[in-house]
Amino acid sequence: MRQNRCSGIANGTKEWQVRGVSNPFREDLVSRNLPEACTVVIFGATGDLTHRKLIPALYNQAADGELPAGVKIIGFARRNWTDEFFREGLEKLNREVSRTGHDEEVWASLASNIEYHQSEFQDDDGYRRLAERLDAIDQERGGKGNRLFYVASAPEYFDDILLHLKRAGLSDEREGCWSRVIVEKPFGTTLATAQHLNEVVNGTFEEKDTYRIDHYLGKETAQNIMVLRFANAIFEPMWNKQFIDHVQITCAEHLGMEGGRGGYYDQAGALRDMVQNHLLQLLSLVAMEPPTDLSADGVRDEKVKVIRSLRQWDTPELVAENVTRGQYTSGNINGKEVPGYCEEDRVDPESETEAFVAVRCMIDTWRWSGVPFYVRVGKRLPKKATEISIHFKETPSVLFNAAPGGVPDGNVLVIRIQPDEGISFRINSKLPGTTLRMEPVKMDFHYSSSFGKSSPEAYERLLLDAMAGDATLFARRDEVEEAWRFVDNIENAWHESDNPPLMAEFPAGSWGPKEADEMLKSEGRKWRRL
Amino acid sequence: MSGKISTEGLGMPVEIAAIDGELRKLWEADEASTNASLMNFLVYTEDPHELTANSKMIQKLTREHACRAVLIAMDRKAPKPSVAAWITAHCHLAHGKKSICSEQISFLLSGYSFGRFRNTVFAHLNSDLPLVFWWQGEISDLFEERLYSILDRFIFDSSTWSNPTEGFAKIMEAREQTNDHMVTQDLSWTRSYHYRLAIAGLFDDPAAERSFFEIEEVNIVAQKSQRTSALLLLAWVTEQAGWKTGLELGLTAETNPENGESFLFESKEGRNIVAKITWDDDGAPLSLLSIKSPDCEVKVSRQEGTSHLCQAICTAGHCLNVSGPADADDPEGLVADQLSRGGKNSLFLRMLPRFLKLL
Repeated sequence: MRQNRCSGIANGTKEWQVRGVSNPFREDLVSRNLPEACTVVIFGATGDLTHRKLIPALYNQAADGELPAGVKIIGFARRNWTDEFFREGLEKLNREVSRTGHDEEVWASLASNIEYHQSEFQDDDGYRRLAERLDAIDQERGGKGNRLFYVASAPEYFDDILLHLKRAGLSDEREGCWSRVIVEKPFGTTLATAQHLNEVVNGTFEEKDTYRIDHYLGKETAQNIMVLRFANAIFEPMWNKQFIDHVQITCAEHLGMEGGRGGYYDQAGALRDMVQNHLLQLLSLVAMEPPTDLSADGVRDEKVKVIRSLRQWDTPELVAENVTRGQYTSGNINGKEVPGYCEEDRVDPESETEAFVAVRCMIDTWRWSGVPFYVRVGKRLPKKATEISIHFKETPSVLFNAAPGGVPDGNVLVIRIQPDEGISFRINSKLPGTTLRMEPVKMDFHYSSSFGKSSPEAYERLLLDAMAGDATLFARRDEVEEAWRFVDNIENAWHESDNPPLMAEFPAGSWGPKEADEMLKSEGRKWRRL
Repeated sequence: MSGKISTEGLGMPVEIAAIDGELRKLWEADEASTNASLMNFLVYTEDPHELTANSKMIQKLTREHACRAVLIAMDRKAPKPSVAAWITAHCHLAHGKKSICSEQISFLLSGYSFGRFRNTVFAHLNSDLPLVFWWQGEISDLFEERLYSILDRFIFDSSTWSNPTEGFAKIMEAREQTNDHMVTQDLSWTRSYHYRLAIAGLFDDPAAERSFFEIEEVNIVAQKSQRTSALLLLAWVTEQAGWKTGLELGLTAETNPENGESFLFESKEGRNIVAKITWDDDGAPLSLLSIKSPDCEVKVSRQEGTSHLCQAICTAGHCLNVSGPADADDPEGLVADQLSRGGKNSLFLRMLPRFLKLL
């Protein structure tokens, strides 16, 4: 009888489990969930994501010794490529983008486990052949094997891929082995489509085997938010409405629609493309209550409570008051003339899609009542930067109000997500001299200065987590749907109402429309200058 | 100490009392650079000829670990007591843009004086930052309570000791005196890190899993100078596997110290397991760890001069081979890896009692 690769013994239970022990050599060696050997099937394998992110991530895991022995990679796509051609293309890109460089021996070892599978995404026969191929790989290695399906194709194929996986029996529960799916963004385009996609996904894979990827959560600084808040005694007591005046989350991009991205972006817009997923995830990490433990559901339970507590802007009037949308007009960035949004490649000249959005988010919880979270994201802003800034309340102006220049603004804690990941804290200090003058000074921590070693790319961490069955850094179904509920209300006001709030304009290279500035100014605040 | 001691690369000579002022000037003179520091990193040697080599090592190490480096070399045999100091900075471009610098203070202490050594350490630390102390070579009488009570991490390499039993006794005493506050890190343990990771990974495979309960033989091949590295690795395999040592059971194995050492163990199920350590000075520091059962061999090996470990699980007629990273050979590489991992090193501490028995 052939032995079962996952189980190790014929009855499908792991040998360690039978004996009531775990792999003793694992004990105390690494303090994270351990990735298990599997075959990774990437749908949309000829695309940029596979070449620039996924394969380099797997390569870097191998170079760091993190990739489990026996991982096999199958690229599934429509183009008529050979294994060799596929591997050559991957190698070429890996040489360019890999974080750890390109070592011939590591690559040779990884490449010997990479294959290409040509098929249309709607072709039953292609999936049948895939199933046979996976079975053959497992047989070669002694039985059944774990499988990780990565849906990285264009979103219009998500349904087809998932349904065909189910039809081919590739998502079936197999004793002692797991089959998991990672789904790339965008996870739906509205609440209804996200719910539909969730139905399809969960009709194919159980929720525990579903990993909705949001690569922002894999970034070092995003993971550091919880450490900063809950491993430092000084912050958490002040992390509430009594001490915090407001929070700003900014994601600025200096690029526009280069490289043909206008086609996708003009359908999505800034709110769907960035706020629904990345920025609301960051907001939930900043605003959540301490989780009871660090398990996936322990953390996600608290995050979803935040998103569920977002006050809904569900009328055109509320949206006009709390949300600003905008498009850039032609302008100048880094000394270069750039076109306006509607003149960009693959953008409808009459487009009503926002390339900038600023939202005042109110979280109706005991901790955050009355504290606005201002979220802004846009294209063609002066520079590329993503950061969270926590603006503390000002001190009572009883002591230093007579000082020349008065007291500068309050303390600001900044968590920089990208680039130049790090944390800074602004405090007020006396200027040297005989008079009492104060100036803000900044205490700054840069990951790159303090830790010369580069952090793993977000995809490296997230792929390992999926192989290890740790969904903490992936979005759960209810998180996704609650985020869409919030976003849908705004989209509906913009596109479905009789009196939609206006589309503001701003010159490319500026920090967004003046209406966004007004939103804060009316409350005596201003956007942080990045 | 004979011969002229080189001070090349140590930087600008300074008066002891002027070190802080001169360091300030160094930074004021260069606005384009950022002075970064995560820790006080103190490197101590009783071989003054190592001072310049240590400075070169800090140059490399600070690429990944920004610190205030304090290098101290003591020439105990010098007839006249004296102290000389130098300051410099090691700068690196971070992501091709910013120049990130770590400052270094070097001391050459001539003539034996414990007080001078200790006060030199105390006086030149950045407050609040952790103190990591790398002691190179034999642990001498300067390693005493008033010194080790202020250390956060103590790094040493037991493979360089002539009498490891004595050296570890001093370390254990220091840990006891500091209520285990001081984290201890032996580079001989770090040297087998990727071997241990590889073995743990390979034993996730069902074939290896099954074989675990049938293991009959463990083989380690190492350079003779790496005896403590090999014994620590063996201590880890056998402690994790839950095997009793033959010493506890009154079992002894034949050993020819010239070629290697043999040990006997007993599994929880009562099977005898033979462990052999063989010396091979032409191979890598650790060149093989093989765990054999009748139907399966789990093997991690390394060719001299390569940077990869070959990992294999061989069952009848079939081998699964993969390669993974190997540990650094040079001490600075091992220290850099150790600093990157951080932590309390609790697994090492758990291994120590068994290792000391095997020693």
